[in-house]
Amino acid sequence: METRYILKKDHLAPWLRRVAKSHRVVAPVKNRHGDTLYAEIDGLDKVELDLAGQPQASAKSFFLPQQEVLFTYRTGKGGYEFHEPATPAPATVYFGLRSCDLSAILYTDVVFMGRHKDPGYRRRREGAILISIACHQPHPNCFCHATKSGPFLEFGYDLQFTDLGTRFLVEAGRSRGETLISQWRPFFSEAAEEDVKLQYQLALEANGLFRRNVDVGCAVRKLAEGEVAEGIWRELADRCQDCGGCAYLCPTCTCFTIRDEKLGPEHGERLRCWDACTLEGFSRMAGGHNPVAREQHALKRRFQHKLRDDVHKHGRPSCVGCGRCVGICFGGVDIVGFIDRLSEEDLP
Amino acid sequence: MTNSINEIENSEVLLVAGSNTTEAHPQVARRIYDAVDRGAKLIVIDPRRTKLASRAHIHLDIRPGTDIALLNGMMRAILDDNLADDLFVEMRTENFYALRDMLYRLDLAEVAAVTGVDQRLWQQAARLYARARKSVICYCLGVTQHICGTNNVQAYANLAMLTGKVEKEHCGVDPLRGQNNVQGACDMGALPGVFPGYQPVSDPKARAKFEQAWGVRLPAKPGRTLLDMTHGGGNGPVRGMFIVGENPLLSDPTMDKVRETMENLDILVVADIFLSETAQLADVVLPAASFAEKTGTFTNSERRVQMVRAAIPPLAESRTDAEIVIALANRLGYSMHYQSTAEIMEEIALLTPIYGGIYHDRLEESWGLQWPCFDRAHPGTPFLHKYMFTRGKGHFVPADHQRPAESVDEDYPLLLMTGRIYHHYHTGTMTRKSAALNRECNEAVLEINPADARALAVRNGERVRLASRRGAIELKAGITERVAPGMLYTTFHFAEAPINRLTVADRDPGSQCPEYKVCAAKVEKLT
Repeated sequence: METRYILKKDHLAPWLRRVAKSHRVVAPVKNRHGDTLYAEIDGLDKVELDLAGQPQASAKSFFLPQQEVLFTYRTGKGGYEFHEPATPAPATVYFGLRSCDLSAILYTDVVFMGRHKDPGYRRRREGAILISIACHQPHPNCFCHATKSGPFLEFGYDLQFTDLGTRFLVEAGRSRGETLISQWRPFFSEAAEEDVKLQYQLALEANGLFRRNVDVGCAVRKLAEGEVAEGIWRELADRCQDCGGCAYLCPTCTCFTIRDEKLGPEHGERLRCWDACTLEGFSRMAGGHNPVAREQHALKRRFQHKLRDDVHKHGRPSCVGCGRCVGICFGGVDIVGFIDRLSEEDLP
Repeated sequence: MTNSINEIENSEVLLVAGSNTTEAHPQVARRIYDAVDRGAKLIVIDPRRTKLASRAHIHLDIRPGTDIALLNGMMRAILDDNLADDLFVEMRTENFYALRDMLYRLDLAEVAAVTGVDQRLWQQAARLYARARKSVICYCLGVTQHICGTNNVQAYANLAMLTGKVEKEHCGVDPLRGQNNVQGACDMGALPGVFPGYQPVSDPKARAKFEQAWGVRLPAKPGRTLLDMTHGGGNGPVRGMFIVGENPLLSDPTMDKVRETMENLDILVVADIFLSETAQLADVVLPAASFAEKTGTFTNSERRVQMVRAAIPPLAESRTDAEIVIALANRLGYSMHYQSTAEIMEEIALLTPIYGGIYHDRLEESWGLQWPCFDRAHPGTPFLHKYMFTRGKGHFVPADHQRPAESVDEDYPLLLMTGRIYHHYHTGTMTRKSAALNRECNEAVLEINPADARALAVRNGERVRLASRRGAIELKAGITERVAPGMLYTTFHFAEAPINRLTVADRDPGSQCPEYKVCAAKVEKLT
């Protein structure tokens, strides 16, 4: 069994302050408008950490920026010259990641560090230490228990924190996490048996606190067997407002587009930007033909990808149950509504 | 809007006229869909088969510009079926007999001929609308951008009053406003004849109040309307213009005339966030700040005043609109000083009764307040005209059908309508700077019915020449059943195909709104 530690809450800031001396630290911070977002911490005393609220966006943009320069070019007598930008990727500790967001990073790893290794993503990911916080107070739209990506994680983290009231139970999953403890060992004490028992109790209770009961398995089965009626896709497409918000906010949506921007007569840059498969232009061919009829199928590919294709490829759906798309969707056609719809059909 | 947007969800019958709601007001469309999901009936009045029209229970596909004839037909059906709300008409309205007499003289066969709609269909729609307890009318520019726009709106108001579908929650007449703050601009007196809060400049008491507050003499005569300025009115040419956040070169009708006016000005000053086509003609361009760089309020379609907070300071040398106006005023010799935009809001509250209770601190922690909101204790007003109309009794104004300014003929056999599409906004000053939106749509498309395309031997996607009596442009043809035979539709977003080179400058005498929705045109193949 891995070693479990106790970090008193009083010691959190002093420990983080020491970690911050050798690492960039990113954590959920409440900003001046009252919104909680993952942000780089510049001085622990100047910010308000928020470990209870769900950050409004996932940590996706730290690994896959909304817009990224892939290279710059210059035209000269000898033709094109290309330069890859030297983007520094400092060693970063991501502290207080929600379980869903950490699970999502494990998924994007598969996309960008699988057979083909994306240089930018790899730079940012290899220097990252992931510290999650177990959620024993799920948020209204959360359903990570149904996608098996929370609320408590069993693997994937470097460190996992569990809030036990006056103290955190800290589990080390990987050596990188272990190092952060051994380096400042005096802050940590070994966990007692009752601490571990308390964590189990919290994990059990957390599963009962979810307000949404989402039958992901049913949707996975129906999609695999092609049992989703055409009328459902059509109805979803009717209501989709074509804003792309679900994909931008989704921690596991990785679709991007490539764009060349001319910056002057002789130089420019190639950009990689987030994209969304729900948009019409995403699949339109150069000649104007579109293999996906948006009017009927705007959301079909998105849901199929999450709940069918990734299950087929990786053995599990790529929805991590964070519920953010539920809150952002203007059309009311989020993935939870879709899954509920499919499982309701089976009711007598 | 007399209603709040959320009220639409709980209406039983929705009458949507001249509005491509799905594309132009997606947030309203979503509520219409929700209402239909709950069992509401949807009636759409639109010459085009829009997405919403294709989902309607009744689609009245009238010929453009024949709303009045159709509405008269519907009101006649309501009288014939004894579905008028007699009590409401008696208690809350006046001039009903003039309307009734006009309706009884109506030739129903002629209504069918003028509108091109089957009599049974409009009668059915009228009964649906009148019988429901909660019926709401949403209308948009398809109703107003006609030479009879004011009468069109009045006809919809007549229908609502005749059946008592106003003064109540979920019942009302709702113009859907286009820009995030066009309602606010009107509220603040960006109209020729009124001070903020629709207080007429001709009213000596209102004038005295503003003169005292501002320490200046104010003219008693209304200013000029937009088209008077760009197309010449009765008072001789305008010599100088200061244009803020507008691109009239592309958005006003008969573009060549607008350009001529602009080029003959002594001075043209444009404040905008990008160098628009109009700004390119300017003597002085003042770089303005975007929404993300300023603090203040926007007022939306449902009269809701909401805070907007600066997320970043103005970029480079740009300044907020308020800063520009204040700096100009001071240099022109009028001393103007405000500590903050909250202080400007206090002045608005002081001088504008309908905004009397709206202050920044009240808006800070809320979703905003809906005017009228008369004092600090007032909670705002979700729907208008409870107990009585603003003017007292609702006044019926009977109207007769009026032919559009231009009709099709042998030389220009097709009827052209103009409008908007989902991905772009007005003249594209902002949206066409976005690579993502441009990927979705980067080109003007002329919608043409398959029958007309066949007759002209035009293929889908082929570039064609589109001409009217005023000018011609080239653009791509898109063959679709959305437009009926004999009709064309395109948008005014694209400077490469400036459709307002073709449109007519004829306008409604009341609102001075030009007839963008009807002009005679022809399509030619490019050789």
